[in-house]
Amino acid sequence: MSQATSEIKTVKPGTVEQVVDFLSGNEMAATVVAQINYHLMGYYPITPSTEVAEYLDEMFANGKHGVRMIPADGEHGAAGICYGASTAGGRVFNATSANGLLFSIEQLPVQSGTRMPMVLNLVCRSVSGPLDIRGDHSDLYSTLNLGWVIFCAKDPQATYDLIAVATKVAEHMDVRLPAIVANDGFFTSHQKRRVYRFAADKDLQDFVGPFKYIHSSVDPNNPTTFGPYMNDPDQINNKKQLSLAMAASVNVIDAVYDEWAKLSGRRYNRLETYKMEDAEVAILILNSAADTAMEAVDTMRAQGKKVGVLYPTVLRPFPAEELRKACKNVKALLVADRADVYGAQGGAMTLDAKSALKDDTNNKTLVMSRIYGLGGKDFLDLDAIEMFNLALAAAAKGKVDVGYDYIGAEPGDPSYSIPVKNAPISKAASTPGIVSVTKDAATGQLVVKGVKQRELTKLPTRIAPGHGACPGCGIFPNISTFLKGIEGNVVMLWHTGCGMVVTTGYPSTAFNITYIHNLFQNGAPTLSGALEMFKERQRRGEIPAGEEITFIMVTGDGGLDIGLGPTLGTAIRNHKMIVLEYDNQGYMNTGHQLSFATPLGHKTSTSNVGPKEQGKTFHHKDSAQLFAATHIPYVFTATEGNYKDLIRKAAKAQWYARNEGLVFGKLFSVCPLNWGHPDEIGNDLSQLVVDTNFFPLYEVEHGITTLNHDPEEKGVKKDVTEWLGKMAKTKHLLKPENKPLVEQFRVEVERRFQRIKAMSQHPLL
Amino acid sequence: MHKLPITNKLGFYEIRMASIGGFGANVAGKMLAEAGVLKQGYNGSNFSSYGSEKKGSPVSAFVRFCAPDVNVRVNAPVTEPHMLVIFLEAIAKMPGMLSGVTEETIVIFNTHKDVDAARDYLGLACGTLVVVDAMKIAVEEKTRVNTALLGTMAAVSGFLSQDALKEMMRETFGKKYPQTVPANIKTFERGASEYVSKKFANDGKYRPTPFSRSGQKLGYLNQPIGGVIVAAGNSMFKDLSASRSGYVPVLNRSKCTSCGECDITCPDYCFEWKEEVGKKGKPEMVLQKIHYQYCKGCLRCVEICKFEALTTHVEYEVKQSVIDSGYVNDIKEIA
Repeated sequence: MSQATSEIKTVKPGTVEQVVDFLSGNEMAATVVAQINYHLMGYYPITPSTEVAEYLDEMFANGKHGVRMIPADGEHGAAGICYGASTAGGRVFNATSANGLLFSIEQLPVQSGTRMPMVLNLVCRSVSGPLDIRGDHSDLYSTLNLGWVIFCAKDPQATYDLIAVATKVAEHMDVRLPAIVANDGFFTSHQKRRVYRFAADKDLQDFVGPFKYIHSSVDPNNPTTFGPYMNDPDQINNKKQLSLAMAASVNVIDAVYDEWAKLSGRRYNRLETYKMEDAEVAILILNSAADTAMEAVDTMRAQGKKVGVLYPTVLRPFPAEELRKACKNVKALLVADRADVYGAQGGAMTLDAKSALKDDTNNKTLVMSRIYGLGGKDFLDLDAIEMFNLALAAAAKGKVDVGYDYIGAEPGDPSYSIPVKNAPISKAASTPGIVSVTKDAATGQLVVKGVKQRELTKLPTRIAPGHGACPGCGIFPNISTFLKGIEGNVVMLWHTGCGMVVTTGYPSTAFNITYIHNLFQNGAPTLSGALEMFKERQRRGEIPAGEEITFIMVTGDGGLDIGLGPTLGTAIRNHKMIVLEYDNQGYMNTGHQLSFATPLGHKTSTSNVGPKEQGKTFHHKDSAQLFAATHIPYVFTATEGNYKDLIRKAAKAQWYARNEGLVFGKLFSVCPLNWGHPDEIGNDLSQLVVDTNFFPLYEVEHGITTLNHDPEEKGVKKDVTEWLGKMAKTKHLLKPENKPLVEQFRVEVERRFQRIKAMSQHPLL
Repeated sequence: MHKLPITNKLGFYEIRMASIGGFGANVAGKMLAEAGVLKQGYNGSNFSSYGSEKKGSPVSAFVRFCAPDVNVRVNAPVTEPHMLVIFLEAIAKMPGMLSGVTEETIVIFNTHKDVDAARDYLGLACGTLVVVDAMKIAVEEKTRVNTALLGTMAAVSGFLSQDALKEMMRETFGKKYPQTVPANIKTFERGASEYVSKKFANDGKYRPTPFSRSGQKLGYLNQPIGGVIVAAGNSMFKDLSASRSGYVPVLNRSKCTSCGECDITCPDYCFEWKEEVGKKGKPEMVLQKIHYQYCKGCLRCVEICKFEALTTHVEYEVKQSVIDSGYVNDIKEIA
């Protein structure tokens, strides 16, 4: 993380010295967590919150803090790590967004219900589907009833300040609740602003104080049962306690806000008001958009309009009393919600506001709801002015005409439809009969003939040109070459990842065939559902008996981390489908964070290189062997560099999927951008990983392993350093001080290879 | 600290840089903003366009400056820039490139064209057009265009301090790549001097391009429900030529055996095949051409070709007719 430190300017608006800097919301979140020196962060990368863990890891590598960083297998796992760590008596932090939050959501009421303080930085983003990576509050609005205190930070400075405040509030003995600090994805998380951070970590550490636990799961002298089985009549009492704690947090927040104001010179209030003293109409709005609305207030005030803005810095507990006070003389209030509560005629904050005002029997404020900015649509001062004008019109009329509506949705041109480019690929065209698979009656082995790449150019491509992958990407050579071995109709499902994002940016698609995308971790079950429905409808005569479709799922190694369980489950059910993993050793779509498939010592944005860290600290996942252990009929590994072998395996895969059950194939896929190698050498690298024994080419049929290529036997064996020397991500490994690390890697690579070789030599293994 | 030469109604001087992932627009925006805020004392903000940023895809960087006591309360992208920087010719004609440009805008354009030809190429209605051959400078200094363009920006802005920017560059590059600092400083200095500037009034030659948010063709009345796309393979309408970074493969059909390996390694489905009657009278697949519309210049095909039928060339040295036809029969045809 780049902090401009050469010429440090300090200021002292409160009682402590602070450094003037220029940082984004994510940088500020990482900075405050590092300065507090939290005990532990359990996390899983998801845009736009990913950078928080990246910056923290980079600072850790350079010895700037001691926060133990644990990359989880998914957000559900990350929340589990955080929960376990909380029981063990330390200070815990996490950052997530959108579907990451929703994937972990069942853990969150456990965290609050068992009264474990921690802080979660929710970098707000639109919830799928369809998938959208930009910022709205649909994730935040899913957290309102989880029993967490919720702070809202409108800019990078508030992100820093409120994480510090939230830490202290959550841990207060009257509260003991976890807290969310929500800021806006991209608008705040990725936007650099002039900010102030404490010059001395100690000032911040003194402010929050040492972490005090009430019960600890790692104290043998005080055996404690966490999370008993609790039905009626007891659960309601646990919830009453939670409700009392939430109520008690109000005074605690006010006191901590006072303390922070003295220390930092920055004053926060649970409900902030801007030019509300004489305002006749107001907008109630959250986070970054509140800033924009304040600009609009100044513009309209200059025209003599009495308008003001209200924005909460605490959403739970909702500042109802403060809202009632602020609205005493307000004729019309427009509540702007960046997420809808479908069917409720208003977003969540509208409902909160209406309910709060109802309790003041003298209140006559007209309330209207407008949904804006969904999916990250920009909110301009023009939009805020439109909102004020709506509220002014209602105030003048004494009546709200349209109580609930969207601002910023476009009708489109009804005479326009998306132009169609390609006709469907006919079954005849996709079945040229070039490759054949037959079962040898004598040996029982499948024999593949006709793997001729020249003739196979006749086969129409299931994927069209025009996708937006980086130059030299390995995904498409792998998947397209595989598809050359597949005849007939194909339905594909792609997990979330680079391959999916670059092919289907709305309203354009690179798929000439039917394609499905579902959630990051849920592709295999989804495709098994589609496949079984196809068969069921066929059985009922709704689809002709002769129809045949090959169902192929494509996942990156990231999708096979978070989706490993569901995919293994699908394999165990042995549906007649194919699962392909393109393994590019990291989460490339989000900017190259480590995946479990990243090899030991490789540098990623969450396994940095510095005095305290030399890349990834544990070995790569062996997904082919994981799937072999499910005893599916066919497992294989392949690379684009051995394309004839890959096409041959594709043909076998289709035979097994037609006749027996699930196939799993692991494909080695280069990433020039993130690995740091020339665009053109993908094919050569694919050969090198095979010849160094890192990526053995083999297949497992009915549990019997065949090694397809033994580099030693062929006299082409190379040392792993010949491969590692080709990429920027591994060049540090060639330094003398990393010799032991490389040796550890070499030994593991060799052990795994020899094991496959032994299996190949002994049918029983 | 100099007073900002011009600001919008909210008090900001606003900059938009348009580029392609990999050309360093993000870093340039960051250094520019840090220099302005931390070295020169302005208040301001900086961010980039948000999406799934792949190498070769369009990206914009934004910088806002205001007086030190003005609060930054806007976070939307810059829609009416005081300074627009176009990082490469290949993106200059993308829709919306000149959106929000007025007579007050300084448009900095990395091109080898002269300033009048550049105006015609852009179709610029008005504003101050500054042309600089940043690519040439970067190639000669073995750097990237971003630092050359930073030099030009500082020189023509009237308020950005060249010393502050140089200091920022020393810090930014010095941390990870100290050996690149002198070349980058030289690139910057050349960018700050080797430009040509000309002011164009709105003379009616080209239509002005005011910022507008309306006119979206797909909306809630006609977007198929559920977000499905029922236009298979319509990515084929796209032109990805801008993703190339200076080099192209050229297919010489006289050397091609139609072995098919290029088709295996190409990530972008650029090769067109056709069934022809072969020498033995049997039908066979024959490689016809490269579709440059989809070629990102990765050169994988050159690397895999065993017959020198595919070779690497500097794109601007290849005749447009070759790019259009997609092949040559003799390599001499390229020039």
